[in-house]
Amino acid sequence: MTKRHVEIAVYAIFIAAIMLAPLVLEPFWLNRIAKYLVYGMLGIAVALSWGYAGVLNLGQGLFFGAGAYMLAMSLKLASPTSLQQGSDTPVPDFMLWNAEPGSKTDLCCINKASFLWIPFQNQWFGVAMGILLPVCIAAVIGIILFRKRIAGVFISIITLALVLLVRLLIIDAQPVTNGFNGLTDLGWFKLFDFEFDPYLVQTYYLVAGSLAVVLVAARLLIETRAGLILQAIRDDPNRARYLGFDVPRFQTFFFTVSAGIASFAGMLYVIAAEFASPTFMDLSFSISMVVWAAVGGRASILGACIGAILINTITASVSETKGFAETWKAIIGLIFVLVVLYLPRGLAGFAHDIADWFVARVNGSPHRAAAREADGVQPAE
Amino acid sequence: MIDTLFIGLSVGSILLLVALGLAITYGVMGVINMAHGELVMVGAYTTVMSGIWLHTGFLIAIPIAFVVTALVGLMIERIVVRRLYGRILDTLLATWGIGILIQQAVRLEFGLSFFGIHIEGLGPGLQNVTIPETLQGAISIGGVEINAYRTFIILVTGVFTLITWFILFRTPIGTQVRAIIRNRQMAAACGVDVERVNAMTFAFGSGLAGVAGVMMSGFKTVFPDMGTPMVVDGFLVVVAGGVGSLLGSVLSAGMLGEINGVVASITNDIVARAVVFGVVILIIIAKPKGLFSFKER
Amino acid sequence: MPVALTVDGLSVDFDGFKAVNTVSMIVDQGELRVLLGANGAGKTTLMDLISGKTKSTAGRVFLYDTDITNKEEHEIARSGIGRKFQIPSVFKDLTVRRNLEVVSCRNTGVLSNLGFGFSHEGEERVDEVLELIGLTGQAAMVAANLSHGQTQWLELGMLMMQNAKLLLLDEPTAGMTQAETLKTSKIINALKGKHTLLVVEHDMAFVREIAERITVMHLGQVLAEGNVAQIEQNPKVREAYLGSRAIS
Repeated sequence: MTKRHVEIAVYAIFIAAIMLAPLVLEPFWLNRIAKYLVYGMLGIAVALSWGYAGVLNLGQGLFFGAGAYMLAMSLKLASPTSLQQGSDTPVPDFMLWNAEPGSKTDLCCINKASFLWIPFQNQWFGVAMGILLPVCIAAVIGIILFRKRIAGVFISIITLALVLLVRLLIIDAQPVTNGFNGLTDLGWFKLFDFEFDPYLVQTYYLVAGSLAVVLVAARLLIETRAGLILQAIRDDPNRARYLGFDVPRFQTFFFTVSAGIASFAGMLYVIAAEFASPTFMDLSFSISMVVWAAVGGRASILGACIGAILINTITASVSETKGFAETWKAIIGLIFVLVVLYLPRGLAGFAHDIADWFVARVNGSPHRAAAREADGVQPAE
Repeated sequence: MIDTLFIGLSVGSILLLVALGLAITYGVMGVINMAHGELVMVGAYTTVMSGIWLHTGFLIAIPIAFVVTALVGLMIERIVVRRLYGRILDTLLATWGIGILIQQAVRLEFGLSFFGIHIEGLGPGLQNVTIPETLQGAISIGGVEINAYRTFIILVTGVFTLITWFILFRTPIGTQVRAIIRNRQMAAACGVDVERVNAMTFAFGSGLAGVAGVMMSGFKTVFPDMGTPMVVDGFLVVVAGGVGSLLGSVLSAGMLGEINGVVASITNDIVARAVVFGVVILIIIAKPKGLFSFKER
Repeated sequence: MPVALTVDGLSVDFDGFKAVNTVSMIVDQGELRVLLGANGAGKTTLMDLISGKTKSTAGRVFLYDTDITNKEEHEIARSGIGRKFQIPSVFKDLTVRRNLEVVSCRNTGVLSNLGFGFSHEGEERVDEVLELIGLTGQAAMVAANLSHGQTQWLELGMLMMQNAKLLLLDEPTAGMTQAETLKTSKIINALKGKHTLLVVEHDMAFVREIAERITVMHLGQVLAEGNVAQIEQNPKVREAYLGSRAIS
């Protein structure tokens, strides 16, 4: 037995657990868990960007929000309310509330920018934009920042400023985005003729299945040669450069993949939670994602995922009581500080150590070191 | 027009007051203190509490808040920041965590609310501070009506900036601080007690945040979350101005404050903030070291 | 014998300070050229200019017939130049074997590397290099745990894997013991002929071991060129660098 076997087993158990959850949980809980699974996907995005590419994106919410809003726009137009606004074509209710008296009740002209909504009448346009827009934004950011060798702290500050900037613009564009209130009263996502009611078990399977796919795909991506080169780049970008690797290209690629995962998560969230809001782009939300990944293990795809799910599940259970909710927030803050100070590998670090011990025991070898070294790649600092 | 410029100036001066402390800790120690906003909040709450419990006036709160926040800053430095020397990103994250803890401490009234004890002046609700009569209303300067409190803020900012400048450029310890900014190892080799100076610098920067908090409490409601947007604004000012440059921070605060004011008068507050963010992003991309940083060989 | 490296009137001007001042140099294929000079003479800057770390303000650099002046580091690396740094830089979080495997990637693009594992020839070459640098026993060790000398050898090994035509070695024996220096000189001598080498060094005993031709730099310019004997006797070199006594 090697550590590899243990890892595959753990992944299998996790996937089995989330896929079998509907057998023991009722629809209300399933819907809540679905949302946490989405956060798990965000954890994966952060691990990929931070743990593996070495890019601490403090504005991951930008991609999550962008993906969410794109799909939400389509679902808004698909909602019954939008079709009842007194026109043949759908018009979002808030546009009517904000409209100048006398303007035509139609997407083309109800306000200056409403025509942007027109293509979203097709749900798949919303889906496509939900991936394409964030990915393009990420690629542009990556090309500009990484080519200029802007590193470390400055990337974090820029991504932070960027998510706040976009959040403000969305809030300001009230006639087109409904500002602070976000997009609510959405229709259901349709696949062929099936409608994904958020409380149906099928919606849960959609989310859980997507998470499983993303989890395995991300893990496999890390194991490619490109993944190895990426870790080398994270380790010593100069060295990589002098070996002939186009460092910015690698960084941009993985930054963009991470953004794609975050935007996919955003769309799944809209399907499960039925709304999109500027709060997705709050600074505290973006930094929370980093906290989940740090606690779970920033350089562990599964670790970051589980960290996110776990923290959010506990937060939700605890927020029944007001006093506990605030205390739990303080506890998380404390855990986070301790993790940053003393546990750079997060909980996944423990898990790895336990796995090493376990493999050594099974193989009858008293030397843990041998098992650990055979692992090949060490997780990031 | 003068009105707009004046408002821009007062916004800029608040930015500067918050950013000054950050500029010093970032410049000297390379530390990004994400709890800085919470320190401002602590200053504001100190004003509230000293009003309620010590029955002191608004003005006396300034030195009290300075001392209180300086002590909190000192604790943060000793317990957390010191252990993370050289790990900039980790310091950013750890101090964010500390910020959460400070916020929750205020919300939960240091845990006492658990036991049903309520300390007046703390807790999750809103607090208010009344400013002295003399600072209310408007004053007339050259025929233009200017808000008295805003003028007061500009004055206080000016005073503290001068104090900071004086300490940095006219005292022995200031020379040590500047030496550390330029070259930490050489300074240590020359006998500067870098650890001690760092601790005092951090405390001083925190104290400035406290004073900013006092000023804030005069015109904004005081609540536990109030600090978070400030640390972002403060950092953008510091990074745009340039690492280790006091003048850079002053100029960048002024510039960003004016941009905010002018754009706000044309469009609205929200767009104004967005524009400021955009400008800072462009500055960092064009000149990552900031507008006024030291030239490196 | 084809010319591997041509440096033609290369200069770099830092705000008026000419760290490298119209340096011209020709290194033949397979040659081992040593760059000598006091600290600040411009040796490392010259290497920075050739490898693309610093952009020159005048002059040109050719690798064989290709003009590589002021190209990006990774482009220059891909044309066939490998560089070993003064402070040994390897991938500390990866194992020794992984370090070499990273270099063995034939393609350097992202998409072409979205595959798994390495070719059989690649792995054989890795074993070969491990043997040459004497680190076969440490293949599974994380590079951070290697000793200083071992790290230097690993870096040399990576350059071998890179199969660069020209190797720039910046003080390869810095911080080594005598025994380690001896092993290093063996490795470098083994590289001679198959690769062209440009070595910056201070350790005169080591220089004697490996040098064929020496280029002496002083204040950013080429002061003298020749073999060990010629350089030792050159009065300008003695004045500027060696001192009035010969190499001991």
